[in-house]
Amino acid sequence: MEATPLASSGRSIVGRPLLARLPDRILKYGLSALSALILVLIVYFFFRLIGQARPAFEKEGVLGFVFGNNWDVGAEHFGALPLLVGTLITSGVALLIGVPVAVAAAVYVTELCPLRLRGGLTVLIELLAAVPSVVYGLWGIFFLAPKLQPAEQWLADRLSFIPFVGGGLVTIPNYFVAGLVLATMILPIVSAISREVMATVPPDHKEAALALGATRWEMIRMAVLPYCRSGIVGGAMLGLGRAIGEAIAVAIVIGDAPKLGHQLFAQGYSLAAAIVNEFGEAQGVHRSALFAAGLVLFVLTLIVNAIARLLVARAARTGGGRGGVENAAAGGQVIGGAAAGA
Amino acid sequence: MIKNKMGALAAASALALGLAACGSSSSSGSSSSTAAKTTSATISGAGSTFAAPVYEQWGSELSSSGLTVNYQPVGSGAGITSLEAKTVDFGASDPPLKAADEAAIGKNGSPAVQVPMFLGAITVSYNVPGLKAGLKLDGTTIADIFLGTIKTWNDAAIKALNPGVNLPSTPITVIHRSDSSGTTAGFTGFLSSVDPEWKSKVGEGKTVAWPTGTGEKGNAGVAGGVQQTTGAVGYVEQAYALEHHFTYASVKNASGKFVEPTLESTSAAAEGITVPANLGIKIKNPSAPSAYPITSQTFVVVNKDLCKAGIPGGEGAAKGVVRFLDYGLGEGQAILSKADYAALPSAILTKSKEAVAGLQCNGASLGGV
Amino acid sequence: MSPSSASNERLARFAVSPARKRRDLLARGGVIVGTALAVMPLLLIVYYLLRKGLGVWSVSFFTTDPTGNTFFGASSIGGIKSAILGTIEIVALASAISIPVGIGVAVWLVEYGRGSVFASAVRFFVDVLTGVPSILFGLFVYIVLIVGTGSTYAGWKGAVALSLLMLPIVIRSAEVILLLVPGALRESALALGAPRWRVIFSIVLPTALPGLVTGVLLAIARAAGETAPLLFTAAATLHTSFNLSGFMNSLPVQIYKDVTSPTTAVVNRAWGAALTLVVMILLLNLIARLIARRSRLA
Repeated sequence: MEATPLASSGRSIVGRPLLARLPDRILKYGLSALSALILVLIVYFFFRLIGQARPAFEKEGVLGFVFGNNWDVGAEHFGALPLLVGTLITSGVALLIGVPVAVAAAVYVTELCPLRLRGGLTVLIELLAAVPSVVYGLWGIFFLAPKLQPAEQWLADRLSFIPFVGGGLVTIPNYFVAGLVLATMILPIVSAISREVMATVPPDHKEAALALGATRWEMIRMAVLPYCRSGIVGGAMLGLGRAIGEAIAVAIVIGDAPKLGHQLFAQGYSLAAAIVNEFGEAQGVHRSALFAAGLVLFVLTLIVNAIARLLVARAARTGGGRGGVENAAAGGQVIGGAAAGA
Repeated sequence: MIKNKMGALAAASALALGLAACGSSSSSGSSSSTAAKTTSATISGAGSTFAAPVYEQWGSELSSSGLTVNYQPVGSGAGITSLEAKTVDFGASDPPLKAADEAAIGKNGSPAVQVPMFLGAITVSYNVPGLKAGLKLDGTTIADIFLGTIKTWNDAAIKALNPGVNLPSTPITVIHRSDSSGTTAGFTGFLSSVDPEWKSKVGEGKTVAWPTGTGEKGNAGVAGGVQQTTGAVGYVEQAYALEHHFTYASVKNASGKFVEPTLESTSAAAEGITVPANLGIKIKNPSAPSAYPITSQTFVVVNKDLCKAGIPGGEGAAKGVVRFLDYGLGEGQAILSKADYAALPSAILTKSKEAVAGLQCNGASLGGV
Repeated sequence: MSPSSASNERLARFAVSPARKRRDLLARGGVIVGTALAVMPLLLIVYYLLRKGLGVWSVSFFTTDPTGNTFFGASSIGGIKSAILGTIEIVALASAISIPVGIGVAVWLVEYGRGSVFASAVRFFVDVLTGVPSILFGLFVYIVLIVGTGSTYAGWKGAVALSLLMLPIVIRSAEVILLLVPGALRESALALGAPRWRVIFSIVLPTALPGLVTGVLLAIARAAGETAPLLFTAAATLHTSFNLSGFMNSLPVQIYKDVTSPTTAVVNRAWGAALTLVVMILLLNLIARLIARRSRLA
């Protein structure tokens, strides 16, 4: 041990005795071991599920299973493309509707809301997470879907020139209702995380923008949202995970039509819904096909997450992300210039 | 402020403790009994969702004599798999065992025994304003409706079967099951046996590729769908239809008679059918004159020698399973009518009882009925 | 010109233009509409639940076990006591497993492992896990712990399936929150000579506590409402049990069984149970937030 002026007090990091370094070592290696254990567990999970799914892949071939356009249980022919497309459609609708609404609610609660309402509103939105998926499904099919059907039929008739949306018969259970129910289910997650993230924006960033003359909305746009971008995306990814993997609620409101989804207001199917609908009675190859559908879901989540991370990383590199101060400064110049010119 | 928070915490803990206290007092109560058979045992089963309410009812009747029945409604397929894996003491299946499953269960050290327990019918329920119950339909017409070839309620084929009935021109909305189920298997099995076009185009099974119609999940879903949509028709389990007073059709049976799905006509459907050696009966378009043609059965499946097969509950559970089956085939059959399920006809009931009498534990007979 | 009007003129140059004001109002309006849209489904669902479930609530509803006796009238079907207690037991065990592990992994990812390939691998696999349908967790536990070991259903196995479900949520949300703790806080503590572990436990975690509590509550709420993982692992029983290595009832499974019953009284029980579950989570939410607020630094 080198003798430094602070060594005797034991405070110097460099000269600290071994015993004092021990807790740090324990924590570091303990947590590393824990993370390694989790990694091993997850890999083992996939390994076992791949084992269960193998018979289906052997029968159809991996590409044949994923991109085959024919899910026929009776004929024991399993091509999961209609299911995959159905999952994409419903999750897409869920994200398109759910994320903006959730972020708007988070913005309101953190920035615009009167202080007294803040706690109550927060709890109210997060309470949505407490509702069991079965209840979402039943509420969807017995309350929401019938009420929406006339409006959907009207939309389909008026917008019949738009290929995916318009034209055709509107059934009560359909992709759109499923997407809407999913949007409601992911609201609490996305909103809660966005809210937490927005609450940590340093006040100086916000005050700097305001001091430069920004309106409330401009301040939010320049100082809050860019700072929170990666956090919001993280929350959205968790929400997307929920949307992709949600089984029971979707199974109840989507009808069962394993045909390629060509219309928003028609009934359809999704990967997770197929698993929950068919597993109880499935045997043999059918069963392993359902496990294989589960694997397709993992890969899908993987791809979407990877794309999201890329987008966030790129935004951070080009000066977005947490560079709120720079943005505020740049915005201030614009405002000053506009004011000067007015 | 602090007092409020502590108060909230204290209240919550008190609530939890209170519930727990109630819990411990009642769980000790369940082992006391007043009936003759006081051996307490716990048995576990899994399988058919159709049979679940009945098995739970029987379990509740038996709990006063010390037998606890834990039943998982995971579906017939998963139930058989559970029995193969020895995670439950008995399995429950609506369709009779396939050869592969029989062999797999037998691998546990003792052959499989399937015991028919009771029957249920599948009604064709509809929601057409002005149309009362008892609309006469035959297999071909029903098949054409579900194929989508008959599109309105005043179609010529329906008119021909119902002279004198005022049929509206409302379009027909078909509602079918979206999840795999024995009810679908029973319904499509009937259609396949009476309509060659259905058999070749769609076939039968727990899940089929429906040519037309909206899919809803579960009996509740189909029932709800039918009630929500004017002009809708769907196939709904008898217990459901009777309990909720649905409007259902009278279906033509093989003898040419139009029969309503009553409990008597359901039981009659199993009269005179051929019973295979392994009791794997399958009711397909029965010929008895008073039979309701869309009827299906449900089984309890066990190993012949339960202890040798290594069921999780051991010897105590083996005895318990026999007690359960004895009850179900005895007093239990009388309760069925209260629940809107149909009892077995006496010929098959006798065979079931014989099968239960043959159950053993490590070679020693468990002395059934 | 008087001094005040001269400065007024100068200030007028920085006034908000009508266009910007309009955009501001529009955006505010949009945000309020969004918030209303977010709150509306909850109010609709709660109203629906209250309408269908409140009528079933009574003291005996909470203090009697469900009976299988469903065919002889509403008074004999019992309540949901075993389901409530079972859910509490199973979810408590699942939380006890997944919360420390999840936060531990998140701490490691943020504090120690940042940038390493190993950390990227962990994060990658955790991300994938978020998209797994809950039924597959139940099936995995079924295959490994039940069929694989030849043993039977148990409440703790259901808890394991639920903790697998909760783990990615806890890890991911904790990671997001921990990343937002300002580096300056950590650095100043380190500069004062505090060891790493001290910084984590005394500075980082307390600062992040409200956010961590939020993430944990979301995970618990999710787990408490899941049916599929428990259906194949914990097995249903009607009786109250404190034995986690035996069969155990739970609210979602009871709801799932009841909602498909032909008997109306049993279906009503399902709605009463669903309302109970939501209220339980609400209470948990309130209690946890109260505790978190009390133990927050400063």
